[in-house]
Amino acid sequence: MNPEPFLQLDRVIHEKGRLPIMSLLAANPELAFTEMRDLLKMTDGNLSVHLRTLQEAGYVAVTKRFQNRRPLTTCALTPPGREAFRRYVDLLADIVRQAREI
Amino acid sequence: MQPDWAAENLQVIRTLMERSAIYRRALAPMTLLAGGLGTVAAVAGQALRLDAPRPFILYWLGVAVVAAGGAAFLVRRQALRAGETFWSPPARRVARAALPAAAAAAIFTLGVLLAGWRWPGGPGADDTTARLMMPAVWIMLYGLALSAAGFFMPRGIQWLGWIFIAGGGGAWVAAGSGLGFAAAGHWLMGLHFGLLHLAYGCYLLFTEKPGPPL
Repeated sequence: MNPEPFLQLDRVIHEKGRLPIMSLLAANPELAFTEMRDLLKMTDGNLSVHLRTLQEAGYVAVTKRFQNRRPLTTCALTPPGREAFRRYVDLLADIVRQAREI
Repeated sequence: MQPDWAAENLQVIRTLMERSAIYRRALAPMTLLAGGLGTVAAVAGQALRLDAPRPFILYWLGVAVVAAGGAAFLVRRQALRAGETFWSPPARRVARAALPAAAAAAIFTLGVLLAGWRWPGGPGADDTTARLMMPAVWIMLYGLALSAAGFFMPRGIQWLGWIFIAGGGGAWVAAGSGLGFAAAGHWLMGLHFGLLHLAYGCYLLFTEKPGPPL
């Protein structure tokens, strides 16, 4: 098997905690922090740590604002984040395809 | 081992994306179309004095069919433009959630049509009361459908559902208390299916964000 696609996998996305976050954000224009926490059944701290990593990589934009006088934190994929996720999914599909050809 | 985890990861991605994807397609144009139709239909129904039981029901059923056809056309057009399937997983979830209330409304309407409008066995079953109760039940059941479908749609839909339930419930109580008046049916329909839809459509038009291209 050609190991090339595996080596190209983005290590920022290819992590048990961050892949689900990227998947959720890829399916929605933006999501509230609390919605993501509930959907993924993560703790606040765990989600914050992963979001910070994705934010530092430039993949996720975090916005803080007020809604009905309550603080609301929302997250969205940035264009580079969307592109990186698309590449990641394509590489996974390549790996699966190669395995089926063997 | 590699292909196993790769396939598993792809499955995780697909499942999460499907589960979290919210139905957003053509919501603003759909609600504006329904609202415009509802408002015009209420005014026309009132002007044409379609107050007799059977014409009232058949008239509003016709309006509902036209609105549903128009909504399906708008959804299909947007799906074609976006290169997506019409019957997407979020659309299926929304339809499944709204189906019980829609089925109840259909069965209820059929029963009233067969009973000849008069409230079967109910107290004060005169035309005026029934004329208000019929749309009140429609409005409440529509609110229930919206509220159920709202779990898979933007949050505002559930609020809209509750407004319909409250409005229909208020009309129901008013009718039961003998506060109704004969011409209220069309106005009640116009207020809810017309103006409420128009207001929500305008809200969406100015606040909706475009969906992701993935």
